[in-house]
Amino acid sequence: MNGQEPNANPAARLNGLTKRFPGFQLGPIDLVLEPGTVLALVGPNGAGKTTTLNCIAGLTLPDAGGCEVFGVEVHPARPKYRLDVGYVGEENGFFQGWSAARNLEFVGSLMPGWSSDRARRLAERFALPMDKPVKALSRGNRTKLALVAALGHGPRLLLLDEPTSGLDPIVRAEVLDVLWEITEDGEHAVLYSTHVLSDINRLADELAFLRDGHVVLRTGRDELSESWRRISFRLQDDECDLEGVVEHRRVRAEHQVITRDASVTERQLAELGAEAVEVSRMSVDEIAVQILKEGHDVERTAS
Amino acid sequence: MWNALRAELLYFRPWMLGGLGIATGVAALLVGLTWFENGAERIPTFLSGMFPAIAGMVVSFIALGMRSEERRARLLLAAPLTPRQLAGVMVLLPICLVTAGYLAGVLLLGLTALVKGEIDLRELPILARITGQFFIYALMAPLVQEAVAARRQGRGRAAFAGWASLVVALPTLTSFYWLDGPMMNAGAHLLVGTIMMVSILMLYQGRTDFTR
Repeated sequence: MNGQEPNANPAARLNGLTKRFPGFQLGPIDLVLEPGTVLALVGPNGAGKTTTLNCIAGLTLPDAGGCEVFGVEVHPARPKYRLDVGYVGEENGFFQGWSAARNLEFVGSLMPGWSSDRARRLAERFALPMDKPVKALSRGNRTKLALVAALGHGPRLLLLDEPTSGLDPIVRAEVLDVLWEITEDGEHAVLYSTHVLSDINRLADELAFLRDGHVVLRTGRDELSESWRRISFRLQDDECDLEGVVEHRRVRAEHQVITRDASVTERQLAELGAEAVEVSRMSVDEIAVQILKEGHDVERTAS
Repeated sequence: MWNALRAELLYFRPWMLGGLGIATGVAALLVGLTWFENGAERIPTFLSGMFPAIAGMVVSFIALGMRSEERRARLLLAAPLTPRQLAGVMVLLPICLVTAGYLAGVLLLGLTALVKGEIDLRELPILARITGQFFIYALMAPLVQEAVAARRQGRGRAAFAGWASLVVALPTLTSFYWLDGPMMNAGAHLLVGTIMMVSILMLYQGRTDFTR
């Protein structure tokens, strides 16, 4: 969605969202998620990913600021916004002694707009064992059940908290395929938290990096891949101050830097007369690790 | 809300039936042994009615514990239900289970009276009084849960109000033993029960976090 006109009613809008806990504060976060976008919330444990998702889902009330879903204010006492939201968290509250089918039937009885056909198709697609009690399902199958339950009423915003955590590669690929298909029509939006960085390449259009409760960077995945580089070079001077560099190592005469603005750094190196300059691309995983490392001066962006 | 309550009652129906089955078995054993040892006139009619009422209370504790462990609120919060409706399910579930126990108790009390060949109607209000106490015990669990949640969420005044209504309920319950007349007693139980239910509803609605 980068470069497009901002939507009057985005899928989700966070306005100065703030939540305080003893020893930790989330936000203030300002974030807009347009329909058709898959935004990954990336951050280490305790960065505030789950709290952010819980606030958008209306499970946690913020201390300041607020959220909107498709222009409707998120508040537990006015829960109509939930018709547009599907949420998959670590705990989904299913009746453990009931089968997957019976749980889905119950969820359907509570949700206006529920389509048994849609739920059945998804369950078949996931090869979900419908007759087994939930307590006997594997972790992967529970996640699949949670996804079917979250998608059965056709929500336009899907909130996923670590959806692929603990899943084997085959199930993970299936889940990611379904999520990718959902957003294909450009009307649905997905906001998911992850620390499985390999998922990012597969699904996310945009990334928001959370560190210590703050969004330290919001950017498109492709922009990120284009701007970050690992550069090695030789320079006569021992000391050099390069713009955009977030990590600088020296191995004998060779300098090795990681830059978040390759074009600027390369131009500066050319001006300084650097020799044996070698530029290599970085994977999104590597870049994410750099961004989330403590102490790196990464631009804090409000989106 | 009613769909959610109905589902919870269906989910815990095997527990309730099991509890009532055990209560009936114990009552039958007691009646049989007493009859065999001391004759029909010594059969303790009232006790046989009390076992199912106790079963109702025990199952309500089990139900609240299991709901909490299975994080049911997370499932219900996916639907467009308000906190008041969620709290309604939390309060009505134990009330329904204790009522089921009471009704089964009345039935068993009647059957035992038939076996004994002597009906003593004075036992019914005594069973109702004890069931009234069970109602209040059953409501204590969600009240404590909400008072703890309020404290954890930094809602000090709400937590204080929750604990205060619990502290007031206990001595009030004890004082009921000295209240004469079944209507007076039932009214007093209803009053304390209502105060506790309203406290639970208000505490739940005031939550700032519904994840735990």
